Amino acid sequence: MEQKAMPGTSLDGIRPTYLYKVVLLGSSSVGKSSLAYRYVKNDFKESLPTVGCSFFTQTLNLEAGTVKFEIWDTAGQEKYHSVCHLYYRGAHAALLVYDITNKETLNRAKLWLRDLEKEFLPDEIVIALVGNKTDLAAEREVATEEGEEFARTKGLLFMETSAKSNHQVNDIFMAIAQELLQQEQKKASAPSPHGRSTVNLRESRARMGCC
Amino acid sequence: FFCRNLFTRKQSFSRFEKQNDVGWKLFGKVPLRENSQKDPKKIQKEYEEKTGRAHRPLSPKQNVRKNLDFEPLSTTALILEDRPANLPAKPAEEAQKHRQQYEEMVVQAKKRELKEAQKRKKQLEERCKLEDSIGNAVLTWNNEILPNWETMCCSRKVRELWWQGIPPSVRGKVWSLAIGNELNITHELYDICLARAKEKWRSLSTGGAEVECEDAGFSAADREASLELIKLDISRTFPNLCIFQQGGPYHDTLHSILGAYTCYRPDVGYVQGMSFIAAVLILNLDTADAFIAFSNLLNKPCQMAFFRVDHGLMLTYFAAFEVFFEENLPKLFAHFKKNNLTPDIYLIDWIFTLYSKSLPLDLACRVWDVFCRDGEEFLFRTALGILKLFEDILTKMDFIHIAQFLTKLPEDLPSEEFFASIAAIQMQSRNKKWAQVKRMLIFDNR
Repeated sequence: MEQKAMPGTSLDGIRPTYLYKVVLLGSSSVGKSSLAYRYVKNDFKESLPTVGCSFFTQTLNLEAGTVKFEIWDTAGQEKYHSVCHLYYRGAHAALLVYDITNKETLNRAKLWLRDLEKEFLPDEIVIALVGNKTDLAAEREVATEEGEEFARTKGLLFMETSAKSNHQVNDIFMAIAQELLQQEQKKASAPSPHGRSTVNLRESRARMGCC
Repeated sequence: FFCRNLFTRKQSFSRFEKQNDVGWKLFGKVPLRENSQKDPKKIQKEYEEKTGRAHRPLSPKQNVRKNLDFEPLSTTALILEDRPANLPAKPAEEAQKHRQQYEEMVVQAKKRELKEAQKRKKQLEERCKLEDSIGNAVLTWNNEILPNWETMCCSRKVRELWWQGIPPSVRGKVWSLAIGNELNITHELYDICLARAKEKWRSLSTGGAEVECEDAGFSAADREASLELIKLDISRTFPNLCIFQQGGPYHDTLHSILGAYTCYRPDVGYVQGMSFIAAVLILNLDTADAFIAFSNLLNKPCQMAFFRVDHGLMLTYFAAFEVFFEENLPKLFAHFKKNNLTPDIYLIDWIFTLYSKSLPLDLACRVWDVFCRDGEEFLFRTALGILKLFEDILTKMDFIHIAQFLTKLPEDLPSEEFFASIAAIQMQSRNKKWAQVKRMLIFDNR
């Protein structure tokens, strides 16, 4: 889809604005903060360990509407788990991040997926599996196909990225935005007779507004 | 044609240089230097008298530099001179006008220089005063308070001095005394814990057989993850200071303390945030004493609740915090409620790292000073102080912007305003103090 970058002009008045909460989940040091920082500031720097949660915002002006991302970047250490699971409540999208040079982190991402599946219905949340650190390809422990295959069986978006060398970072967030907008359109055009409640629930959660 | 042209240019150029030279002497250097030389010397003298340092004559080079600072930036002498020969001469009244303008400029420049010199003098005086008061405070702490710690630590005078900030040279000692050593940790115990940690690192790096599970109940995998994570986090602890990173002077110290702690308290292990606390202690104490302070500090009820990630108890702390939040800043409290902004969003980072990650290090140390004096309630009072300091802008923000702002505070916090704001927070709610409110909430939860 064609992407148009438009500042706040009168056109915005016609196009809807969608506000989406996106959470970054995954083990420590897989690059969650770095991905968010790259995406929002287009830069790379060594991040401090995240304690609790840190926050970013990004606005996308797309043809179908303006998308505002509220990015929740959570602490990775397992010990924070009982705190962090509060943070994905009400999320519209989640990035499950693992480090391609550390197999254990993919397993951890799978555990996060199980958590999400308990909390959300399948059409309630867009989930992407993200293998980060492609710049360290020489130390790779997880084959691209392995991540891809897992994502396919679970119906997740999948991409390998590098926050450091800026590889596919924009692309994964754009893919999420497109997916969210598509779901939005699907719901608007064809409300399913069943599962109506979930649709309504979702619509009420996607805070829509016009500016 | 070329020749002539070149020639005239050359001639005019050499003339120009000469005039320039004269001009500098006449209008630039002489009057100003006389005036400017006085002040810095006087300031220097006063400064030396105050600090009691021997008078050290300035080298000629420094002298020149000093004078240059006071020179007005101008080649204005040019204006006064006649025009080059190949141009028509200046009319007398124009020359007069230029002279006048030039003189005005010189007066202005002098005024500006004088003002700046006064400003510098004032800054210097303030610094001297500050250094004086720190010097005096060091004496008071060393000679009066520390030798009589038990009797004096709670006196009004000491508490007031304490609030001003503990001088860096005695900070470590005061922190150690105030934190205490309830756990009775000795230097020998530290050595034992460290030896064990080293053993585990060795077996980890050689990938050898699983270490026997002496700390029953805590999986080897968990401990392994802790030790791995310590390594990762050390390089991410105060990266700007460049002293804890690989090859830095305190890298091994930080590694040792965190490793020893995971062996001392395998039930707590390493939790992210700890590396910052240990680092601040290392900056102020010797290794073994830093370990003792670290273990005792983490053993305090509030720190234990957080570092064991006891979610229920953490919620109790947040609830107690909200009682005082509503009491002190009702408008902002309502605004936060309206935006569903819960305290965990910002308090988790602040409490886990005792502000050492979110505040500039010198301010964080001053918060630690009073935290050592007043205990956990000061951590929450500080949080309210921050909210109060930024109340006006926070009330204009929505959820995500408040969250962003509070998890990444501005770097140039003014320390006096900051502490004034904390001082204005009353830790009293309907005649109940922090401890009472907390106890009530814990009781309610049961």
